Amino acid sequence: MDFDYFSIEAILAENQKIQCTFKHDIPGMGHLGGGSERDIAMLSKIQIPIWLAYTIIYSDWAEFNIPAPFSSRVRNALKAEACSVRLSNLVGAGGLWYGFGKTIMDIVSDEQANEMSDMLSKAFRDRLLEVVDQAQHFAALGQAGAGSSGNTAQAFREGLDTTERERKSSLHHKNCKIPLEQVQVFYLAQESARRMKRWNEDSDRTRH
Amino acid sequence: MSLPQSLRASVSPPELELIASQQLIEIVPLISMEKTAFISGAYGPLRPPNKARVPLWMAVNLKMKKKCHIVAPSWLNVEYLQEHLALELSQQTFSSLPFRFTEIAKVILDVASDDLENPDKIRSLMKDLREARQAKSREGLKTLDHSELSLPNLCSMEINEIRPYFVQSMSILTQLVRDPLRNA
Repeated sequence: MDFDYFSIEAILAENQKIQCTFKHDIPGMGHLGGGSERDIAMLSKIQIPIWLAYTIIYSDWAEFNIPAPFSSRVRNALKAEACSVRLSNLVGAGGLWYGFGKTIMDIVSDEQANEMSDMLSKAFRDRLLEVVDQAQHFAALGQAGAGSSGNTAQAFREGLDTTERERKSSLHHKNCKIPLEQVQVFYLAQESARRMKRWNEDSDRTRH
Repeated sequence: MSLPQSLRASVSPPELELIASQQLIEIVPLISMEKTAFISGAYGPLRPPNKARVPLWMAVNLKMKKKCHIVAPSWLNVEYLQEHLALELSQQTFSSLPFRFTEIAKVILDVASDDLENPDKIRSLMKDLREARQAKSREGLKTLDHSELSLPNLCSMEINEIRPYFVQSMSILTQLVRDPLRNA
């Protein structure tokens, strides 16, 4: 998860929509809301992609609330048990929960940003161990066993953020429930464990 | 980069083994040979039954041709490993072992298990050691920090194994942690 200009993940994360409440009448911009109205009326609520919301919020034309994926309900669920929250279900396609959170973090006030940063990094840390454990477990099973496993583990894997699991993976599909960011970690750990296993088991010295 | 994805994250275990093969090890040669110059240096002369110090790759090569016996390093025996396993299980920190002990032990166990005393026991001790140490690095994941990671006494193979996902996790944490100094 980097916020490089060329990073597809960053672009996807920025494409999430947030709800903005406009503070002024804005004539001629009704198409932003996707409706057929010509103007944006004061106090109307419109879903705006976050890359556009930056400017609008900074220019003080609108304000917004912390979106649902980072609401106190999710916060409490994470506090209770970080591993059981299906993070990528919370955000739309791509499942970039951390990336989305990070973009929000950059807009909100210091105090809120600190709070969000704590939530995001704590969630990531708490889930990391489970991600790596599973990755190693799967590496040990080998490719064949990857399909069948306990339900809890599977549910968790599907709920990973894409940061947690790599995107182009075979396990990944449209309904993936793991945030993208952690998917990458999952795959790196799995690949690493696999290589070690291969090396440890290969004791054929005749090739030398 | 034109390297395949799998080679970009870190060095591969066989590569580490190659690096470890440069280390010198004692052998008892069964043939005699004059001092010979190689790219990495001059080794020899080999005069049986005197011991000689040669790089591991050369020892392996000679051993495969049945032209030497490998003398196990001082740490590759049941007592030493058992002692370290006990340390490993009783202490929080990693016990200090030679940096490339995994690679060297594996190579010697593969080609020269007949030169070792009780190779099966050594094999299982190595496995136990690995598992004990892995459990500790797993614990370390829990307290992963975004800015620093100290790995005292971790050996090359272990560092290499955890590198890809530790690095990735830390880089994500760097993004998520807002003010690096706030929690300090």
